[in-house]
Amino acid sequence: MKVLVLNCGSSSVKYQLIDTDERRSLATGSVSRIGMTGAVLSHRRYDGDEVKLSGEILDHQVAIEYVLSILLSKNHGVLKDRSEIDAVGHRVVHGGEKFTGSVLITPDVLKMIRECIDLAPLHNPHNLRGINACLNLLPGTPQVAVFDTAFHSKMPPYAYIYGIPYVLYKRYSIRRYGFHGTSHFYVSRRAAEILGKPIEELKMATCHLGNGCSIAAVDGGVSVDTSMGFTPLEGLLMGTRCGDLDPAVILHIMGREEIGLGEANTLLNKHSGLLGISGVSSDMRDVEAEAEAGNRRAQLALDVFTYRLRKYIGAYAAAMGGLNAIVFTGGIGENSAIVRSKTCQNLGFLGVEIDEEKNAQTAKQEAVISTDESRVKVLVVPTNEELVIALDTAEIVEKAKQGEETAPVGTS
Amino acid sequence: MAKESGTLDLQDLEEIRGLEREAEDVITDVAVVGGGTMGRGIAQTIAGKGINVIIVEKDEDNLRRSKEMLEEELDYEIERWALTESDKRAILARIQWSTDLEELDDYRWVIEAITENLQAKQDLFRHLDEICPPEAIFITNTSTLSITEIAAATKREDRVIGMHFINPVPKVPLVEIVRGLKTSDETYEKARKLAERLGKTAVEVYEYPGYVTTRIIVTMLNEAMHILMEGVASADGIDTAMKLGFNFPVGPLTLADQMGLDEVMAWMETLFRELGELKYRPCPLLRKLVRAGHLGKKTGRGFFIYDESGRKIGVAQ
Repeated sequence: MKVLVLNCGSSSVKYQLIDTDERRSLATGSVSRIGMTGAVLSHRRYDGDEVKLSGEILDHQVAIEYVLSILLSKNHGVLKDRSEIDAVGHRVVHGGEKFTGSVLITPDVLKMIRECIDLAPLHNPHNLRGINACLNLLPGTPQVAVFDTAFHSKMPPYAYIYGIPYVLYKRYSIRRYGFHGTSHFYVSRRAAEILGKPIEELKMATCHLGNGCSIAAVDGGVSVDTSMGFTPLEGLLMGTRCGDLDPAVILHIMGREEIGLGEANTLLNKHSGLLGISGVSSDMRDVEAEAEAGNRRAQLALDVFTYRLRKYIGAYAAAMGGLNAIVFTGGIGENSAIVRSKTCQNLGFLGVEIDEEKNAQTAKQEAVISTDESRVKVLVVPTNEELVIALDTAEIVEKAKQGEETAPVGTS
Repeated sequence: MAKESGTLDLQDLEEIRGLEREAEDVITDVAVVGGGTMGRGIAQTIAGKGINVIIVEKDEDNLRRSKEMLEEELDYEIERWALTESDKRAILARIQWSTDLEELDDYRWVIEAITENLQAKQDLFRHLDEICPPEAIFITNTSTLSITEIAAATKREDRVIGMHFINPVPKVPLVEIVRGLKTSDETYEKARKLAERLGKTAVEVYEYPGYVTTRIIVTMLNEAMHILMEGVASADGIDTAMKLGFNFPVGPLTLADQMGLDEVMAWMETLFRELGELKYRPCPLLRKLVRAGHLGKKTGRGFFIYDESGRKIGVAQ
């Protein structure tokens, strides 16, 4: 089955066309600066052919029209006809408590996604725009929504309830949801395959370290806790986000700096994290280089980042009553040997023993970087969220075709 | 689409159909005439939404000052955590500067933010009417003047409309959209779309001196000045009372200083002249300060005293 995977942001559309039978990417690319001057479409075919175009792209529908056009183009395309696209899989950020798995998109499902807008006002509206555009452009082609939150939906209440009046949970659905679910799902499965053990028998801490960072406790294949919460601001230190913080700190800052909600929001989301502490950059590579050169604040940022991650690994080992594997993924997790090494320091008591040589040699590839004796295996697994979305989409569409229960799969 | 690399021009792709739709509605370039506080605020807001802006000032001196002020304002926003360095770079990259109105000959959106003077605004729009394409929408940022009178200077009275932004424009989520007697529904609809694109909630008001916000606020400021003049309370006392008593972010006298006392007086005089009621008569204390050249924050002295960077440092005696 050929599945078009779409990830629609506020001013961007990322896409990948995947052949799910062969688990192969046929083409990938993105449209950026939608609705702004100088929109750019970059497209790359499986054989390495690349093209980049700039111009005016008004909205998500036009962007997706361009994506379809380039997929169909004589010189750069991979399709002869639109009908070759068997299904479209959409990344949807927030499924709230309504969606615990991927679903075939129906009018009812659309309505329910719309009801989740309050929970993710920055993301869900754009995801919906992409879905609507495809309804117009590819009528009759089945569409599936895959949620960032779904993998974490089996967390027990004691992991997702905050210590605030329960009535606020009932009134506004304020609780931990967690994000990066598709990534945690993929790397935990893949790690089990690499280790050659049934996932049901494994207790894992999966660390997704990219622009945003989160860690999940995956026990027997189920996410039982994760560091991001009601929004992606909680938990680990990130490029520009603060992660865990005493909530009173922000109230205090708002008073002292005489700032309002908007400024406070920007302060925590854009001025904090690695950038805020180091004053150097939000990019871990720059922070590492500066720390290496003797910049003490860059060193401090690196220390805060890895120390907090290590604390979470310890906490999740305690939460699961054991630990068999630590998995690193995302741009930082896949590339930074320093972060992986520093994170695993002092975890010897848990049975973690890094093979520094293997660790140093590993970048952007699947590898076990712990020693053969290490009781806890440490792995690097490049994430592939698009593949999960494509496979989920194919499975759901297949089932729907066979006349089985169509919607909503796994939904409560 | 312009090619950057590769061998494809999307316009050549036969598969693309109907891409021209709504192209006219898309806002990609806006001209702002006048680089004062309001003009800069409007330009910053527009550029912040990814739209290109050209700011036109009357001469190089004003242009340079406006540029410097904008950079200072953006730095201040960064210092206040509201923006990041990359936001600032993106905003500045989208703003062009000019002293030549003739450059607006292909602009379809023109926002006027010059001095609050009917004659000046009419002269400007009469000139722009000859330069800009016939379909261009003319927006005036007046807070008290008649849109109908301003529009009368042009041959496109149906495409002239008021959008009254409030200072500081990037922060205040409101805009009053003011229809003149001849403003068309289509023009109103376009202005509403622009407001939406800029993230502002629009309130539709019909042409009447002062609309909603200016009429209520300057009358209140004038009352605060009377209270001060009559010796009921000190300037600090008045501001504190209104701040704490009614949760105002700033007190009325500080607000008047921020707006500019000459501006406040001009608005009061328009209201007084147009509506004829004594309650709109500018307070004699206001006249006295304006006559003395104490115009508030921008001159360093009004009801309060300010340092060079505009921070309040004391009460004027």
